[in-house]
Amino acid sequence: MDEDILTTLKILIIGESGVGKSSLLLRFTEDNFDPEQTLTIGVDFKTKRLNIDGSRVKLAIWDTAGQERFRTLTPSYYRDAQGAILVFDVSSYATFSKLEMWLNELETYSTKNDIIKMIVGNKIDVDKREVSREEAMRFAKRHHTLYIEASAKTKDGVESAFEELVHKIIQTPNLWDSYEMNNIHIGNKGQPNQSTCAGYCSLV
Amino acid sequence: MADVLSEIVLPEDLKKFEKIYHEQLYKNDVTPKAQFEYAWCLVRSKYPADIQKGIMLLEELYKTHEEGQRDYLYYLAIGSARLKEYSKALNYVRSFLSIEPGNQQVVSLEQTIKKKMEKEGLVGMAVTGGIVLAVGAIVGFGMAIASKAKS
Repeated sequence: MDEDILTTLKILIIGESGVGKSSLLLRFTEDNFDPEQTLTIGVDFKTKRLNIDGSRVKLAIWDTAGQERFRTLTPSYYRDAQGAILVFDVSSYATFSKLEMWLNELETYSTKNDIIKMIVGNKIDVDKREVSREEAMRFAKRHHTLYIEASAKTKDGVESAFEELVHKIIQTPNLWDSYEMNNIHIGNKGQPNQSTCAGYCSLV
Repeated sequence: MADVLSEIVLPEDLKKFEKIYHEQLYKNDVTPKAQFEYAWCLVRSKYPADIQKGIMLLEELYKTHEEGQRDYLYYLAIGSARLKEYSKALNYVRSFLSIEPGNQQVVSLEQTIKKKMEKEGLVGMAVTGGIVLAVGAIVGFGMAIASKAKS
């Protein structure tokens, strides 16, 4: 059953409590939305198969609790992750301000140096916006991360966020098992962080 | 592939939180936080004895520390399932869902547990086992009547 899978990628979702990490994951894996989504306990896990650039990849996605009480233990899940999604809520500036701290956490605990990072501004369906797209993009560019805006509620941007992240990981072969990559461009091997956000930012 | 029932705690994590717990235990002042963090590591150990100990600590927390009860129930379910005590695990899942019906994370844990049971052929075995027991009971009952009739 798994023979045609090119590789399995470990993806991490982090960010403040209540920004919509689990909602983004639920929308992506099951195309569902729960308006009464409860607080995640510790760490949750889901898988999803994806077709990217003609290759089938399997995603193992670890969704961490944002609550302070779990902070001491969640970093051990950062190990071996090839991609990280950092989520904030565009209607809460406080959650945006905390991104710096989450990036530091990643820096400290992730074991792969060129882990691909993507910032997702969630809840763009909400009227009262506190973080502008421009400011978030500037932040992402400064920190060499991808940036996408999304709404788990309306579906906007959710799929593209995961797809772009995986696409970028696939383009960075030293992040994953590099056998059988005949049809994959390996030109940027070894310089994964060279590209700026502008080239990879897809905005909804 | 690793999922919530098969991923293994890092030995250094287990050691770190074990040390904190024991230091507090020595001073006779264990905080729920330290106990939970140690238990969380224990139930994710590859050794059944550790998991058992983690379950004990979580049961104690569940009785004494109301605030974290949903967390404790969730990890009690995970610990029991890792020990292959599936009916116990499903009981914890059920009590959780009676408080928070439809909780996404717990519903998916329930599915993971059931899938694992199926894989291990336990669903079928439970049914066969039940039939064997029932046949045994009927035979035993018949024999009891027969021996009564004789006397």
